[in-house]
Amino acid sequence: MQFIAPALRNTLLKASWQYAVLMLVLLSCARQDTNRSGSSFRVGLVVPGSVADAAWNSGAYAGLQRIRDSLGLATSHIEARTPTEQIEALRTYAAQGYDLVFAHGFEFQDPAERVSATYPRTAFVVTSGRRAHGNVSPLIFRLEEASYLAGMVAGSLTRTGVLGFVGGIELPPIVAGYQGWVNGAKAMNPRVRTQSVYLNSFDDVAAGREAALALIGAGADMFHHNADAAALGLFQAVKEKRGVYVFGANADQSHLAPGHVLGSAVIDLPRAFLFIAAEIRKGNFTPRVEVFGLKSGVVRYVAASALDSLVPVKVKARMAAAADSISSGKLVAAPRPASMQASALGT
Amino acid sequence: MDPVVLVTGFLAAAVRVTTPLLFAATGETLSERSGVINLGIEGTMLAGALAAALGASEWGPWGGLIAALVAGMVTAGVFALLAIGARADQIITGTAITLAAIGLTGTVYRRAFGAAGAGLSIPTFPPLRIPGLASIPVLGPALFEQPFPTYLALAGLPVVWWVLFRTRLGLALRATGEAGAMARAIGVRTRLMRAGATVAGGGFAGLGGATLVLAQVGTFTERMTAGRGYLAIAIVVLGRWHPLGVALAAFVFGLATAMQFLFQALGTRVPYQLFLMLPYLLTLLALAGAVGRVRAPGDLGR
Repeated sequence: MQFIAPALRNTLLKASWQYAVLMLVLLSCARQDTNRSGSSFRVGLVVPGSVADAAWNSGAYAGLQRIRDSLGLATSHIEARTPTEQIEALRTYAAQGYDLVFAHGFEFQDPAERVSATYPRTAFVVTSGRRAHGNVSPLIFRLEEASYLAGMVAGSLTRTGVLGFVGGIELPPIVAGYQGWVNGAKAMNPRVRTQSVYLNSFDDVAAGREAALALIGAGADMFHHNADAAALGLFQAVKEKRGVYVFGANADQSHLAPGHVLGSAVIDLPRAFLFIAAEIRKGNFTPRVEVFGLKSGVVRYVAASALDSLVPVKVKARMAAAADSISSGKLVAAPRPASMQASALGT
Repeated sequence: MDPVVLVTGFLAAAVRVTTPLLFAATGETLSERSGVINLGIEGTMLAGALAAALGASEWGPWGGLIAALVAGMVTAGVFALLAIGARADQIITGTAITLAAIGLTGTVYRRAFGAAGAGLSIPTFPPLRIPGLASIPVLGPALFEQPFPTYLALAGLPVVWWVLFRTRLGLALRATGEAGAMARAIGVRTRLMRAGATVAGGGFAGLGGATLVLAQVGTFTERMTAGRGYLAIAIVVLGRWHPLGVALAAFVFGLATAMQFLFQALGTRVPYQLFLMLPYLLTLLALAGAVGRVRAPGDLGR
């Protein structure tokens, strides 16, 4: 026993030391944006990539800042890329007693449900999620409705008749956006051909450029994307070629390649975040599926003012008519795959 | 579609994808030949990419290139200090360097360019057309209308070969990697040799990162190297620790990557993942001895 004890103690010491380091690392990952005294309501955000991506994640970060500034709540965010980091980040917030946690992406649905089972007090909001369950509520964005309008412009302006799309990873919401863009283009010009390239990454900006160059080589002259930071490579490739245009995604991206961006399919994430946070803050919120499309104003198509003259008035009129049909439910921009069907608690 | 245009475009893409890999793999060959396996090369490339972005926005593309070279050497220098100076485990140290570089580059980037992030417009190297050679049909435009870093990578290759196999320095370096104790016995300063090879290798990796920024995308994004450093390590194995084999292996990886983009862009029904898998399959086969005798330097990692 005397021989074992020191060894055991050593092991335990080592283990606790490693545990302490791990905790320290995790805690230092969470960036406390403010810590306002007086407000005990705390809001956390877990994003799957860099908040400096000028698209999906930076929009969420802007939403968090809007919540902090408008509602005066304490906020914090964590960047977590792998599934293990993601569930750990959710658990960290819940264990610290955060009242509301935004889990920013389709991939967070299952982790949020699992953590929610242990921590029912914390409200989880999964952006782009698929169902309401326990205290987990999804925000569903029908970005494909705005992409449909972008596709109408692309279909009527293309010279080569080939449209290109660059996607990060083949996730259902991204495929839906691609479908919307294709359907919009075909509504104007049934003969267009469309091609998509997936990068298997949201960070690899050089791959984004190569994908775009390959598509340009295959004749594409109109582009749309959903690849977050990696899409910056697409904008670079488009900038280098005359007569090639691109439509931004998630945020208004007309500044990324001036003279080459015709418009953007935009999700006003700050508006949606503020809306849902204010309601949960009031305390009378019941978990439900919240859908935002063109009708809500949260999802919209923003034309780039510099190139607005390229789009014929007739096309604009048809776009306005299509937007009305989509809002009233007469026109479906893209049918959602079964994996994305919101299984109803609230709808 | 014109098949000639298609093939030329495909080859040019393969060369573009190969260039950063070739830089990194050449550098890794140097350090592995001296007996040091540097997993920090991924982080070293990333540091080079950020330094290139910062340097180029201040002093233009040439300044960026030099900044990346220095950043790569400094990052590898930190690795050498720990792994060779303090004899820390090479695998763990290398991993730590990469993780630290990911965090550090992200923080510096946000400090320098703002947390919201945006596409930067960094001045890049324009394609440099080599008169005469560029007029060769198909191959010419693919190989000889590339930006400057591509030629630099191609020029570095024979230099590394010559140093390794035709100089006393190279002999001492290889002896250090094969049997450090014996090299020491005949008076080679093995630790200095290893540190030197590692730092020089870091310089190459830094240039690889710079190529992504200065010759391709003209912007920096966090984690933009996306595993190319680890690819370089596989390339060194596939290339059997010889500069020429490594160049060939890097081109195989470049071809496979370019091919999967092309197949997706043309809408071919073949799953593109097959082409992404191909180089790794080759590496495994190489390790299993299918591509002839493969033997790592005797004292690698010790």
